[in-house]
Amino acid sequence: MSIPERLPDRLPDHSVGTVLPELVVEMDRTLIVAGAIASQDFEDVHHDPGAAQARGTRDVFMSINTTNGWIDKYLTDWAGPSARLTSVSLRLGVPNFAGDVMTMTGEVTAVDDGVTTVKVTGSNSLGVHVTATATLQEVSR
Amino acid sequence: MPVQLEELREFIGLEAEPPRVARYQVNEAMIRNWVEAHDDHNPVYVDAEAARATGRDGVVMPPAMVSTWVMNGYRRWRAVQAARATGQAEDFAYSRLLKILDDAGFTSVVATNVDQRYLHELRPGDHVTCHFTIADVFGPKTTGLGEGWFITLHKRYVDQDDRTVVEEDFRILRFRPAAASTQES
Repeated sequence: MSIPERLPDRLPDHSVGTVLPELVVEMDRTLIVAGAIASQDFEDVHHDPGAAQARGTRDVFMSINTTNGWIDKYLTDWAGPSARLTSVSLRLGVPNFAGDVMTMTGEVTAVDDGVTTVKVTGSNSLGVHVTATATLQEVSR
Repeated sequence: MPVQLEELREFIGLEAEPPRVARYQVNEAMIRNWVEAHDDHNPVYVDAEAARATGRDGVVMPPAMVSTWVMNGYRRWRAVQAARATGQAEDFAYSRLLKILDDAGFTSVVATNVDQRYLHELRPGDHVTCHFTIADVFGPKTTGLGEGWFITLHKRYVDQDDRTVVEEDFRILRFRPAAASTQES
């Protein structure tokens, strides 16, 4: 993870096919737990490794709301603070287990009357963790 | 006890539980914890001046955070878990649905899909209420985690003026853990 130098003032120039910069998220247990508790999610699989293993998974794993939060962050790192997300549709695949690394990629799939559609994928060592389609636009619109 | 599809599909369209009123208003402290957990440096979530520079009236909430405000909190979460451990269920449609699945061994949960439409940005001071409807129930399906049932909840979030601010479809899988069933057999 790295702190972006500066987020852009306006949505960067883009068109269908524009590729967003990649983001690498190193996920330790603390990051998984921090996300779960920030969202007030006390399901044991997001903080208790023993309980997660008893349920047949190898370790604690990221909650869907945390994944959604990372998609927000990923999109506005690119689009900047003047952009507003208007929708997100995400589907989870393999879990984001603690100890793994998620790489996020994105591509503009539509630009229509000021609304930009971006497809986002987050992958880890097991495969695709999340695929999402999001729409965003300038907040002033 | 086998679960009958017809029995579960009767829940479709029912109010899942009474409207859930946020325990507190949207606030900057909770927002800051959220953005730090996600390493999000977008200034519009923490800096009113930066937010105004984008044409907003002040700090706004990260859109994915909306469900946070209507989470139960740890005290009520513990009470619900304790009741569940003794086989009790509140007399809400969603509680009754989960108890049927619990009793049949579908005790674990993972979320699989979220679709959210953000109609208005929320700001500190806004007070959210969420209306839950059971939108779909289907199964049993064999998944990588074990056999399970998919439940889709529709959530409609309104603000203090009863204005709809976010519409959401949230899908979970209630499953019988493959590892646990192996151990039991």
